[in-house]
Amino acid sequence: MSLLPFSEWCYGLAMSQVYRESLWLFALTQALHLVAVTTFVGAILIGDLRLLGWGPVGQSRAAIARSAQRVLLWAGLAVLATGIPQFTTNALTYHRSPLFVFKMCLLAAALVFTATLRRRVAIADEGRLPLWVPRAVGAVSLALWMGVTISGRLITFYG
Amino acid sequence: MPSIVPTLEWLEGLAWTTAIRESGWGYPLIETSHVASIVAFAGLVIMMDLRLVGLAFTHAPLAQIQRRLFPWQMAGLVPSTATGLLLCCIDPVRYYGNVSFRVKLVLLALAGLNALAFHLKTRRRAGQWDEDPQATATARLAGAASLLLWSAIIVSGRLIAYG
Repeated sequence: MSLLPFSEWCYGLAMSQVYRESLWLFALTQALHLVAVTTFVGAILIGDLRLLGWGPVGQSRAAIARSAQRVLLWAGLAVLATGIPQFTTNALTYHRSPLFVFKMCLLAAALVFTATLRRRVAIADEGRLPLWVPRAVGAVSLALWMGVTISGRLITFYG
Repeated sequence: MPSIVPTLEWLEGLAWTTAIRESGWGYPLIETSHVASIVAFAGLVIMMDLRLVGLAFTHAPLAQIQRRLFPWQMAGLVPSTATGLLLCCIDPVRYYGNVSFRVKLVLLALAGLNALAFHLKTRRRAGQWDEDPQATATARLAGAASLLLWSAIIVSGRLIAYG
């Protein structure tokens, strides 16, 4: 199944046209996307540090995870709101970019991992799991989200 | 007043800065490392700021969360500063003339002063903070200022690419 028709439809949207014609609107959206990504990664990082047994160890893993979840939700919505116009504006370029496809696959894996295994481990009773489990989950989460951030930045250079 | 431009041109002409600038991988590698480390550093600063303004992690005592996050914030600050300086060295003339870059430097100085004032103030009252879960009005103000400043630093940093 080809995604080309979908990319063409995105590219042809009126919003995409407006973004293509205004350099500053695109630049500002890109900059705000980075602010949202930074906030999102910060909320992931504080949870991952706690899972790894570092960072705010005076608080339970569940308490940190619950509080970070609200930040993740709001920052995630901002990432989405600023990321969608960037995609649609250059949909035909991104369609051909192996790095963009890689980032999206990594993003999907990171989202699924965060919403399932990471969440379960973070809210589980502290004594119920062997010590290596939260640590391994924290390390995988950190690697996935930093991978998403790094591959996203590399798209600029290697398309 | 003597111009700084000749010094920047000398820096730009050095063999190692030229080699990095002209290599296909040097700039992308350093720039990507800069962004990744600044995202980690500023991300944790924003988490502390959200705690200060009372929007997240309110169950955690302020002094405790500040103490525990500080080393990790520094672990992000060191590589982001090193890669930032390296970026300035490999393309100094372009950065010098860039408005967004100048705005970013001013904002960085303001964020540094805000953080310094905050640390000096909280160090004196650290004992009291451990018992008091609510941030003082000054601390909330410092948190809000830091949130705004770091968001603006990220925005201006991204806009450097556009001049």
